[in-house]
Amino acid sequence: MKYDVVVVGAGIAGPIVARNVARAGFSVLLIDKKPAIGAPKQCAEGISIKVFDKYDIPYDRRYINREIYGAKLYSPSGHELELRYKEVSGVILERKVFDKMLAYYAAKAGADVLARTEATDVIRRDGRIAGIRAKHEDEPVEIRADIIVAADGVESTIARKAGINTYAPPHEFDSSYEYEMLIEGYDPDLIHLWFGNEIAPRGYVWVFPKDEDRANVGIGINSDNPETAKYYLDKWLRDNNIPARKLLEVNVGVVPVGGFVRELAKDNVVVVGDAARQVNPMHGGGMAEAMEAGTIASKWIVRALEEENLSLLQNYTKEWWETDGKRLEKVLKVRKVTEKLTDEDLDLFIQVLSGADAEKIAGGDYVEVIKALLKHPKVILSPRRIKLLKQLI
Amino acid sequence: MAEKIRVVVNEDKCYLCGGCAGVCPTLAIEVHSSGWEFFQDKCIGCRICINACPVGALSAKPLEVKE
Repeated sequence: MKYDVVVVGAGIAGPIVARNVARAGFSVLLIDKKPAIGAPKQCAEGISIKVFDKYDIPYDRRYINREIYGAKLYSPSGHELELRYKEVSGVILERKVFDKMLAYYAAKAGADVLARTEATDVIRRDGRIAGIRAKHEDEPVEIRADIIVAADGVESTIARKAGINTYAPPHEFDSSYEYEMLIEGYDPDLIHLWFGNEIAPRGYVWVFPKDEDRANVGIGINSDNPETAKYYLDKWLRDNNIPARKLLEVNVGVVPVGGFVRELAKDNVVVVGDAARQVNPMHGGGMAEAMEAGTIASKWIVRALEEENLSLLQNYTKEWWETDGKRLEKVLKVRKVTEKLTDEDLDLFIQVLSGADAEKIAGGDYVEVIKALLKHPKVILSPRRIKLLKQLI
Repeated sequence: MAEKIRVVVNEDKCYLCGGCAGVCPTLAIEVHSSGWEFFQDKCIGCRICINACPVGALSAKPLEVKE
């Protein structure tokens, strides 16, 4: 088999690249090791409403479980902060349908798509990577391609076998565990987030509603924690008297929350999405980031093929680092500061912040909010809090 | 130097999520669509995979030293 481009992994970034490159008229093969693209998911399924227009994805009810109007944050001692918009601000997807439909859009655009096809290694010829070895069911296949796209998730096996350094230290990963379950008593129009060092070290517990009484209930914690994510989520459910007897799915995964990959393209191999650690280090969401990276990568793949100049792929690295990379580096700095917050700090901040403050933070305009916090009497009295907050400005 | 270990998986607990392979600095673990595979010769005994597993499916066994 010979293609212009082979894309390994049909999560979010892979199908976006495959669709965009196929639309430009080049031959593309998208492969995924799973027998059913999209399942099992490793995701809380929440995404901003903005991505549909921005990345040309149909707003299709088949993969939208629920429209969301904001968020509610809970501090360790139970203080609440609500952020509610009049318009829909995000949706909770059904990833097993969404991912498959993204692959369908790629196929409709002209790409070939092979599920249950696992990339096992790269093929090297004359000192360069000429394609990948894969296994479709029990049959070994050799796929030759001019460009190889590693969109193979957190494992990033193909990127690493191609010599791209995707290593990140253990503290730069979150360990996540989630039930899709029946749960009552939470406003199903909002996503709900609980913070606290005892509740979820470094991370948070989430309830993302998929129905009036059904939600993704999950947790992310630092992956170098001696206890498991499952331990912390089960404990939270017990402590809050939430029965865990109507469990529809169990979802498990490790999330890269930092340690972004420096070199996103090496010769004719590019790495996108979770494989490139392109995830928001603050909340652990990576779908929008994968779409953005996939869009930038596909632009330069098309250009490189049109001009028959593979060195143009380096512009993907450059453009990503000048745009989303720069933004995520700032988010990483914020996360490193928030990691130092005690439960008392979290209680205080959630207590004194208003919904309007939360809206400013959500919109990225957090400096004004930090300045207001720095004037609060309980902050003024604590040199440590002043120091932490000043690091954020 | 880290103790030489053999990482083993409890298949009944494992979801084949690939997280252990993702955090392994030396590609000593591969997670296929139908199974989990460990490469002893690549393992450096750092135990990062064991900590990172969201469900505690991995554990370490001391490597038997040949007399």
